[in-house]
Amino acid sequence: MRGKYLLGVLVILGALAYMIFGGLGQNLVYFLTPSEYLEAQAKYQNRPVRLGGLVKPGTVQYDKDRLELRFVLTDGVAEVPVLHKGTPPGMFKEGQGVVVEGRFQEGVFQGTNLLVKHSEAYRAPEAGWTPEDVRKLIQEAK
Amino acid sequence: MTPALLGNLSVALALAFSLLGLALALLAYLQGDGRFLKGAKALAPLTLLSALVAFVALEWALLTHDFSLAYVARNHALQDPLWVTLVTPWAALEGSILLWGLLQTLYAFVASRKPLDPWRASLVLAVLFGIQVFFFGVMATIASPFQTLPNPPANGTGPNPLLQDHWMMAVHPVLMYLGFVGLSVPFAYAVAAMVTRRYQSWVEETRWWTLIAWGFLTAGKVAGMWWSYEVLGWGGYWAWDPVENASFLPWLLATAFLHTAIVQQARGAFKTWNFAFVTLAFSATLLGTFLTRSGVIQSVHAFAEGPVGPAFLGFFLLATALGLGLLSRVSREVRDVAVFHPFSREGALLLGAFFFSGWALVVLLGTFYPLLVEAFAGAKVSVGAPFFNQVSAPIGAGLLLLMGVGPLLPWRRARKEVFRNLYLLLAALALGTLLGLLRGYTLGASLAVGLFLYNTLAVALLFAEGVRARRLAGLSPWSFLENRRRVGSLIVHFAVALMALAIAFSQTYRLEAEKTLYKGQAWEVAGVRMALQGVRALDEGRRFAVEARLSTDRFGEVRPRLHFYPQMNSPLPSPKVIYTPGNDYYFLLMDFDREKGEWASVRLVVTPMVFWIWVAGVLMALGTLYILWPASRPEAAREVSPA
Repeated sequence: MRGKYLLGVLVILGALAYMIFGGLGQNLVYFLTPSEYLEAQAKYQNRPVRLGGLVKPGTVQYDKDRLELRFVLTDGVAEVPVLHKGTPPGMFKEGQGVVVEGRFQEGVFQGTNLLVKHSEAYRAPEAGWTPEDVRKLIQEAK
Repeated sequence: MTPALLGNLSVALALAFSLLGLALALLAYLQGDGRFLKGAKALAPLTLLSALVAFVALEWALLTHDFSLAYVARNHALQDPLWVTLVTPWAALEGSILLWGLLQTLYAFVASRKPLDPWRASLVLAVLFGIQVFFFGVMATIASPFQTLPNPPANGTGPNPLLQDHWMMAVHPVLMYLGFVGLSVPFAYAVAAMVTRRYQSWVEETRWWTLIAWGFLTAGKVAGMWWSYEVLGWGGYWAWDPVENASFLPWLLATAFLHTAIVQQARGAFKTWNFAFVTLAFSATLLGTFLTRSGVIQSVHAFAEGPVGPAFLGFFLLATALGLGLLSRVSREVRDVAVFHPFSREGALLLGAFFFSGWALVVLLGTFYPLLVEAFAGAKVSVGAPFFNQVSAPIGAGLLLLMGVGPLLPWRRARKEVFRNLYLLLAALALGTLLGLLRGYTLGASLAVGLFLYNTLAVALLFAEGVRARRLAGLSPWSFLENRRRVGSLIVHFAVALMALAIAFSQTYRLEAEKTLYKGQAWEVAGVRMALQGVRALDEGRRFAVEARLSTDRFGEVRPRLHFYPQMNSPLPSPKVIYTPGNDYYFLLMDFDREKGEWASVRLVVTPMVFWIWVAGVLMALGTLYILWPASRPEAAREVSPA
């Protein structure tokens, strides 16, 4: 009886462990800057990631009738074109820090969720942005 | 007398009374002297009074616009409506801690009036006073609601717009705190029982206290879901946000205890489990507060951040260490019967305990996994909602299965006639699932239909059984309603089944559409025909509102809005939700023509059955109230009253 009981517990624990680690592996969403993405493109192909960076000035195109927002996300070194279906959030503007959730398809990052990161404290460095600066900006912003 | 002076004074008094109470309660236990206990008991109403005065002082400062208080300057503005001013004490960290402290003293006062043997009474009071020392200590030092400013501004900024955008904010935090704080009493009872080695008798009283906390926690969570639905403008009610998860943990553990306690009462088993569930449920409330207040994990609740993170972490570790330390002694001394017949009520409840703790473990792991990955691999990750949904669906289904069959199974071993009921239940499950599949629902949704039918039948069978038993005993069948615990739990079980069905459908079938409409342009989507009549701006004093006027064929004129608060850079959506028993129609204004008001981008989210989630929430609260209603315990009341 005791053995049978133990077996039951083991089966439950096993199922649980499988669910947790299988599920976690598939559903981890990495937070990346454009340079980090470009370094290991194959790894992130067709899986959801959160891409953080700045909206490159002069690249924003919004078509309100088709509800398509296109812009280039940059971290000062690497750039990624983004297509977001939907209206831009209230604070969205050029040079703004944003996080886009979505996945890469055919060279364009298809955003499903667009978050504007606003930080009062962090100012642009004199010599231009580096990926590290961008990362810090996005992480420190609330 | 100024509010600041009165407030600081009463916080200091509350802290002093709590310290004194803690000392007296400990002395009472160590010396075995009833006079100390009497003194400690007398301090409970005094602490309550001090905390109440401090709270009133804060309200006084807010109502008289006393901007010399830092808290008032940061969270209040002259133009705030009265109801917003009245709920501003819990709009930010310091005031919330004051509210927490006040409720803590209230619970401690009620607990001190409950009859209990002097040994345990001293320890219960010692634990509760100890918790109060922490809260009032935090208030007196790092998070004082009564800190003054040298140069008071003429007007403040007002509370966070997210909080003043919906009246639910007056309700949700108070209910949550009542639930969180309520779990401290079971914890105190558990510690007292573990120290005095009274491993059996504590369960009955503790169950009652836990049920109170559970009822508030449930109501608070449903209220929070509703707030999220109506204010955050995403058309959902649960996002597996870290703070949602953190408050889900104590709920799961308290639910588990409410069930395993039955086994200890009936059969004396599960002693270690019960101590563990109560201890961990309380620790989980502190962990949740730590998460909310520290900003360790990004969350929608980040507005509540403050310097108290480390203090809460320390207190969490202390309480957990105390609980687990005592628990290890219990597990050495108690030999629980661990082998049950699988087809018995205790078997079902044991399995349920596994499911509840498994679920809590999964949610905990998913919530903290990003921290682990960052610490060990350096990568920044987040665990998506799909993970939580994937693991929760099978666990939830398992629990729903147990919920139906468990109460029907007799203790020890199932008799033959029980199996007839089981076959009926399985038939209902199969029938419901089949019907769902035939109607073209997904497998998950069909299974939810089956499980709902299965549980409804189980509740009906139990009800019929109760009524029949009364009739056979020559009593009025209505007298079954006097079995409050049974009837109340059946109401709650039915509500849980209903909520599960509503969640399954609203998560599976959700329709979203968005379009930019020009003035006069019509749009037909999801069975609704609408046309944009115009966009207009309104000055409401504390905010600007922009509303799109949409004429619809089914709901008349619908006006979704955007609210612009001066203290917030981005507008807040204020959706217009049309609740119907079938579908919810959630209208959102996304964007509009700022120059001429000629166009507006509108989004419509159609979600089935969301309405029933709120109905189920109300039913769960009512069922809990039915069990707790004082009239239900005439025998118990007679026992305790002096003869």
